[in-house]
Amino acid sequence: MRNDTPLILPLGDRAMVVRFAEVLSLAANSQALGLARVLNTDPIAGVAEIAPGLASVLLRYEPRTIGFDRLAGEVRLRLSGAERVALPEPRQLSAAIRFDGPDLPAVLSALGLDQATFIGLHNRAELTVLATGFAPGFIYCGLHPEALHMPRRSTVRPSVPAGTVLFAAGQTAVTATTIPTGWSVIGTTSFTNFDPTRADPLTLHAGDRIRFTEAA
Amino acid sequence: MALVVIIAAGPLTSLQDQGRFGLLAAGLSASGPMDWGAARRALGRLARPGRTLVEFTAGLELELREGPLELAGEGGQFSVRINGKAADWPLLFTLTAGDRLKIAPGPAGTYGVLAFSGEIATTPVLGSTATNTIAGLGGALLRAGDTLRLEPPGESGPGITPEGAALPTDGPIRVIPGLHWALFEPERRARFLASPFTITNRRDRMGVRLADPEQVFGGVALLSLISEPVVAGDIQILGHGTPIVLMRDHQPLGGYPRLATIITADLDRFAQTRPGETIRFQTISVQHAAALLT
Repeated sequence: MRNDTPLILPLGDRAMVVRFAEVLSLAANSQALGLARVLNTDPIAGVAEIAPGLASVLLRYEPRTIGFDRLAGEVRLRLSGAERVALPEPRQLSAAIRFDGPDLPAVLSALGLDQATFIGLHNRAELTVLATGFAPGFIYCGLHPEALHMPRRSTVRPSVPAGTVLFAAGQTAVTATTIPTGWSVIGTTSFTNFDPTRADPLTLHAGDRIRFTEAA
Repeated sequence: MALVVIIAAGPLTSLQDQGRFGLLAAGLSASGPMDWGAARRALGRLARPGRTLVEFTAGLELELREGPLELAGEGGQFSVRINGKAADWPLLFTLTAGDRLKIAPGPAGTYGVLAFSGEIATTPVLGSTATNTIAGLGGALLRAGDTLRLEPPGESGPGITPEGAALPTDGPIRVIPGLHWALFEPERRARFLASPFTITNRRDRMGVRLADPEQVFGGVALLSLISEPVVAGDIQILGHGTPIVLMRDHQPLGGYPRLATIITADLDRFAQTRPGETIRFQTISVQHAAALLT
């Protein structure tokens, strides 16, 4: 789903959200990444932070330097440039998963797949890191083929540790800290995307690529 | 050089500074004081404050082992005793070695801060000493027995706190319609603005759950939404219709519908409410809210 004139919405009195879609798609995701890229290369005075999401971009701004209306105008001016911007060469990384999660049987049953078929489909293609930011180092990776799409669980698991592999909404996510989650827990990995001792604590950023393999 | 020993600390006593800004994409909200205005006032009362503050909730007792140490306390209304003798809140005082400071809850408020003419020795994480309770990093949660070593503050000082100061007012908590305002039925939006909500005791630095006695959000259909950015002050409606106001240690992205966002000028006041207090909401334009920032 593609929206060439995104909605520009206030989020409180010092942040703005540019929303490209209400349903996740790779096209909307790349529009968001493109706008974030342009906003970083052609900065607007008064913008303090730019954070791309799954299909939107957050701009945190200093309202005493720039007001919402003028900022919206500056963003609109940059939208056409965002269509053509070259994104940086993605980092590529491979992560091995142990498919031992407690929700794996329920996932297989919901999708009507046996474990080998599921793992084959899950690992078949290299995925894009669609977004970061839900929790420290958390990555959303997608999108999987339709055959692997299923909703979140109806209940929230109060705590899963770092290195948990989550599955829902056509995506695989990897935790880097302990968090609650309503996604299905399908496995574990030794890859974590957060190191607070580094100036940039992330290894993978939105737009990077990840290939999942089955741990031996 | 000064040395402080924590004799007793309420829950959620933490080190905070001016926040860990710029790391939303890494999954970290900025944290920082729950009452920015109080932090700014406390820092402003000292000639050369250190950057790191102690934020406390239900009370705090400390002893100065080595001193002297000048400190300033602000936020809410707390009851103070120094060596057993009543003192004023807000507080400005120079402790000498052996002095005991005891702070207990007073008639109003939830969060207090202490600023010091000295820099608390703690290692910044990602450029900040602010404790992020959801991510478990930064300064620390303080407990009885902990010691704080204070060094002379750096030349640059803490600078200006980045959040706008609040102009204190009474009356409704003002909000800007949020990312998903349009997804709520007009009648429900009208009832949101006409109905009282009560602060519950399920609250911390991440969020404050509200009781909804008029059942404004009863029967809200669980909306399946794409995760979108979250800011402090967002009022999100959980799947079973519970409103929760996200606070300084919020997660940066979320998938629950966000009805409205409390404006900067009223968020400190909201943070200082107590369980059982009733609040009402009123909408305001983003332009009007910006004009309220000092």
